[in-house]
Amino acid sequence: MAIINQATKELQVKIVYYGPAMCGKTTNLLKVHENIQTAQEKGKLVSLATSSDRTLFFDFLPIEAMSIKGFKTKFQLYTVPGQVIYNTTRQLVLRGVDGIVFVADSQYEKMAENVESFANLEDNLRTLKLNLADIPYVLQYNKRDLPNVAQVDYMEFLLNNRDIQVPSFTACAHKVEGVFETLNMITRMLLHKFINESARKPA
Amino acid sequence: MSTLPQLLEEDIKQIDAGLDDLLSKSEATCALVIDKGGFLITQTGDTRRFDATTLGALAAAMYAATQGIASLVSEVNFSSVYQQGENFSLLVHNVDEHCLLLVIFKAQISVGAVKYYALNTLTQVAQQMQTAQARSPDEGLDLSVLNIADTADLFRKKKA
Repeated sequence: MAIINQATKELQVKIVYYGPAMCGKTTNLLKVHENIQTAQEKGKLVSLATSSDRTLFFDFLPIEAMSIKGFKTKFQLYTVPGQVIYNTTRQLVLRGVDGIVFVADSQYEKMAENVESFANLEDNLRTLKLNLADIPYVLQYNKRDLPNVAQVDYMEFLLNNRDIQVPSFTACAHKVEGVFETLNMITRMLLHKFINESARKPA
Repeated sequence: MSTLPQLLEEDIKQIDAGLDDLLSKSEATCALVIDKGGFLITQTGDTRRFDATTLGALAAAMYAATQGIASLVSEVNFSSVYQQGENFSLLVHNVDEHCLLLVIFKAQISVGAVKYYALNTLTQVAQQMQTAQARSPDEGLDLSVLNIADTADLFRKKKA
C-alpha cells in the first residue's frame, strides 16, 4: 500500500501493469520511459527478462510527478510476466499494489486469454486478501492497429461489465498512442482515492 | 491488509540514528529500510553511488522470491538473504511484517559482523514502526490539501 512519508513529504504509489502474455505491458513502460517529458523525474527502467526479451520477473520504472503543494508523488510502475506458468511471480509483484492497469490484447483470437488473465488477476488479489472492487484500475485495449481486432463494445462486454464500469482506453502502445492517457487516468484515480480517504477521516 | 504506518519526521530521525549506529560499528557502506512492496523508506551512509530506489524495488522482490522458496522447502521463513560479491556484499534482513533492512558492505567485511550489529538495529527499527503504528492514524498529513481536480495531466508526452 502507498507510503506517506512526512519527513520527506513524499507519497509513494505502486501501479502494476497486468495482462496476458505478449499484450504489450513492457512496451507501455518502455514508451513511457522513452517519451516522458525530460523535465519530469524519471528513473532507470529495469527489465528482468529472458534473452528473448520475455519478462521473467518484472519490469520496474520509477517516475515522479511534479510536486503538488510541496508534496512529491513518486509512482513506481511494475509489469508482471504474462505467461501462465509464472503465476507465483505475479503474486509477488502484486504485493502492496495501489492501482492496476489491465492491458488486453485486442486481437480476436486473444479474447479467451484476456478473460483468463483477468480472472487470474482477481484470484491473485484474493490470495493477497485484496479485492479488485477496492483497487482503482483501468483497462487498456492495446494493438488497435492490427487488422483482426475485436470491437471495443465487445471487449467492454467481456472485461468491463462489473457493477461499476472503469475507464478504458484504446491504444497502440508501440506508437505511444493511448499510453499516456492510460497512465494519467490511473494516477488521477489514485490521487483522488487518497484525497477522499484523507477527507473522510475526522479532523 | 494492514499497512505501513504514516511516518513522521521523528520516526525517520530515530530510524536513521539506528542505521547510522549500525554503519559506524560494522563499517558497512550504506543501510536502507525498505517496504516489502518495494518502496524506499529511508537510507543512510554513502548512498550516492547506488540507485537506492531501484535497489529497494529489487531487494524487496528478491526477498519475496526467497520467501516463496522457503515455503517450497517447508520453511516458514528465511529471515535474511545474503549476496556475496567481489567488491560489495549485501544483506537483506526481515524487520517486521512490513519492512526490510538492506545493508551494503565492502566484500572484505564479514557478514557475521554485519549480522551481529544489525540485530540491534532491527529491534530499533521495529520498535519505531510500532510507535508510529500506535499513534493515532488520523494524526497524519492531511492529503485533502492536494487539490488535483483542476490540474492538467500529471505526465506529459514530449513533443516529437
